[in-house]
Amino acid sequence: MKITRLLRAACAVAIAATGMSAVAQEKTGNKPGFALAPGTARIVLMRPTIWVGEQSTGGMAEPNADWTMQARETIARALADAQAGLGNVVISYDEGSSGEGALVSEYSQLFGAVAESVIEYQFFSGNRLPTKKRKDSFDWGVGGDIARLKSLEGGDYALFINVHDEYGSTGRKILQIVSLFAPGAAVTSGVHKGHAGLVDLKTGELVWLNADQQMGGDVRTAEGAAKRVSQLLEGFPGRPAEAPATAAAATASPTTGE
Amino acid sequence: MKRLLIGLSLGLAVVAPASANSLVTAGPRPHIAESRFSASPTDEWNRLSRKDGKNVEIWTRDGDQLNKVTFFGGIPSGKPLVREIDKKHQPLPKVAADMLITDIPVLLESTYRIQYAVTQMEVDSQEPATLSGHKAIRFTYRFAREDDGVRRRGEAIGAFVDGQLYLVTYEAPALYFFDKDVEKYRKLAATLAL
Amino acid sequence: MRALSRLALCGAAASLAMLGTTPPTRAAEPGLELPAYSHAYEPRTVDERGVWMEADEAERGLRDSPLRIREAGLEAYLREVLCREVGADRCAGVRIYAMEIPGFNASMMANGTMQVWSGLLLRSRSEAELAAVLGHEFAHFELRHSLTGFQQRRRATDAIAWIGLWGALANSDTSFTQNIIARGIYRYGREQETDADLLGLRYAASSGYPASTPAEVWKNLMAEEDASAAGRNQKSKQKYTAGYFDSHPTALNRSIYLAEAAAKMPAGGDARAREYRAAMAPYLPRFLAAQIKRNDFGGTEHILQSIAAASGWSPDLLFARAELYRTRGNPRDLQVAAQYYREARAAGYAGPELDRNLGLALLRNGQAEEGRQSLNAYLAAAPEAGDAKMIRALVAN
Repeated sequence: MKITRLLRAACAVAIAATGMSAVAQEKTGNKPGFALAPGTARIVLMRPTIWVGEQSTGGMAEPNADWTMQARETIARALADAQAGLGNVVISYDEGSSGEGALVSEYSQLFGAVAESVIEYQFFSGNRLPTKKRKDSFDWGVGGDIARLKSLEGGDYALFINVHDEYGSTGRKILQIVSLFAPGAAVTSGVHKGHAGLVDLKTGELVWLNADQQMGGDVRTAEGAAKRVSQLLEGFPGRPAEAPATAAAATASPTTGE
Repeated sequence: MKRLLIGLSLGLAVVAPASANSLVTAGPRPHIAESRFSASPTDEWNRLSRKDGKNVEIWTRDGDQLNKVTFFGGIPSGKPLVREIDKKHQPLPKVAADMLITDIPVLLESTYRIQYAVTQMEVDSQEPATLSGHKAIRFTYRFAREDDGVRRRGEAIGAFVDGQLYLVTYEAPALYFFDKDVEKYRKLAATLAL
Repeated sequence: MRALSRLALCGAAASLAMLGTTPPTRAAEPGLELPAYSHAYEPRTVDERGVWMEADEAERGLRDSPLRIREAGLEAYLREVLCREVGADRCAGVRIYAMEIPGFNASMMANGTMQVWSGLLLRSRSEAELAAVLGHEFAHFELRHSLTGFQQRRRATDAIAWIGLWGALANSDTSFTQNIIARGIYRYGREQETDADLLGLRYAASSGYPASTPAEVWKNLMAEEDASAAGRNQKSKQKYTAGYFDSHPTALNRSIYLAEAAAKMPAGGDARAREYRAAMAPYLPRFLAAQIKRNDFGGTEHILQSIAAASGWSPDLLFARAELYRTRGNPRDLQVAAQYYREARAAGYAGPELDRNLGLALLRNGQAEEGRQSLNAYLAAAPEAGDAKMIRALVAN
């Protein structure tokens, strides 16, 4: 019994790394009836949470700073391109001299809690809240006070991005292949998940959230990042994004619900 | 043992089937938290299938991270507010028959600090109230957990009735959410009966 | 120091070059030579840059955390103590964050971020004790332990995965072998701790603080754990040999080898207990109040006694002791609590909450008339207090 517990601790990293792959889901939520105002929207890109690394043979997540840095750049560029295609402008968040760093950080944390709640209690059918099951309901937000933040002045929307990529190491891939011969031992290789959300800076409402536990596109390259961004922007309100055909074509209609 | 090791070492996902959360509709609602507690909500709530203790029931509107009403229904003397996760190293304080009404916020704070990694908590106001005709305390508080950067606020009403503790709390992030739903909680709390 | 262990194993520590060329700036007596140290170290390998990247992100979280104690001067003071311990050149690359977390812990990340928990500040009785723990953490950092620990865990879990799969293929039980490897992870962690202890001791011995202090820290921690267990009617668990799955050597073992090593070093000087007490005075009531709510009577009583043994029973300590007894709440405790409240007042405790809590203790103990008098005194002194309405209602009943 004791050994069991300790081994669980020893291997917890491996579990955490691959935990959710069995409940793959892909969902987009849009605030019903919402459309980006015609013309140029100024979208403030909040500091994205981007983590790129490798998955070791044993399933540990190994951070890779070079890949993460590359992904930061490629994703930012692909995002700007995609939004320019929509006629929008993307600007990176800058605290400037506002002294609002801690408060904006708290809003980011709050957005994280909201996104997690949407994913767990609306997108994930296993644990859905009855009041969140209804068709065409997507009622979430971080509150209208966000409009008072000086450092967000001049922005129409805030875009939050979260990307987590673990590329299977060579060892992990070989382990995966060998595991095909072992009954009952399924090894997954790689973790690619992320979510993106858009908050209306006038009202604080979450007008769109897209979450995907199994994404494509190698974020370490420009092409891959473009593909990833088009997937991340699936369901983005406004005109359809000019996405590569590979991405399951971004849609403008609400796809919440079953 | 062998299965476990294979599972652990290969990182196989074990997904427990979650039993469903249920809808709380407007209207009378008896036996909340498997106790004498009843209420008559006018708004809709969701009752989480998750339980933190035998006589503990959680209602929410948008998920327990964003707004959460917890009913502690008749916790008897000698029992902790919620189920202990580590009796030996992190024993929780227990309800005691001779507690004063002002010991209720202290009991809640101590429980949170020990069980929920709350490392900052402050009780702001305490005033007398009645809970279904019984002498009660209404109090407000603020807290932050070690594992996330969201500051939360809380409001609660509690009473000892026949030596048992009846307590209802409402908690939500201080930014936006607390104010958004506090009136709905207050309307609900006004209908509480024992 | 279980908590310290966990953090140290799972990603604390490490960096700064072993390849640096700067000579040690402090006079090194034989046996006290410190490794060469270089400034502005940048991570070199893929693994190391990855570990740094995570640390940079985690540091952003700490910087903006609501738990950070931002009051003037505390973090600056902690930095002074660290600089005194490891030397001005070494501490130059470190950022310190004071966090309101009541566990006994400090930790350091690969990029030079150090966090110090309020529980450590509460338990330390002198600058030298605090410095001993900060020096230990800095040693992890200088020895780049978070990187090597990460690499060692990866090797071990890789092997465990392969052996597990082999077992599944051959339908044989491989748990024994996997077990041995898993033990290796912990053994490695214990070796890192010992290395950090011994380097930390060399900082201490060259700092001017007493060289005997690091061993004392462990002894005091053991005494607290024993007191905590006794308070819960459990057996003491001190042992000399670490179990296979302990991430750290036992406190007993550490206190012994540290004391032996210290005996061969210069004794050092002032532990600066008075300076420490003065610096902590503004925070002490808050740290004590948090500790009392942890439902650990024995451990908390030990902390109070150990601080009092070093610096006497101050009004704050007496008040805290009264609170501790009132919180446990047996009839005898309530009586003792009332006595300590009165001693605290006699010693000069001036806060109006003393009358409130004394009144509540008396009331709970059935001494209604006396209790009301105290509560009235509280209401007279603090009529606008947040709980005045509640207390007024208690008095009226």
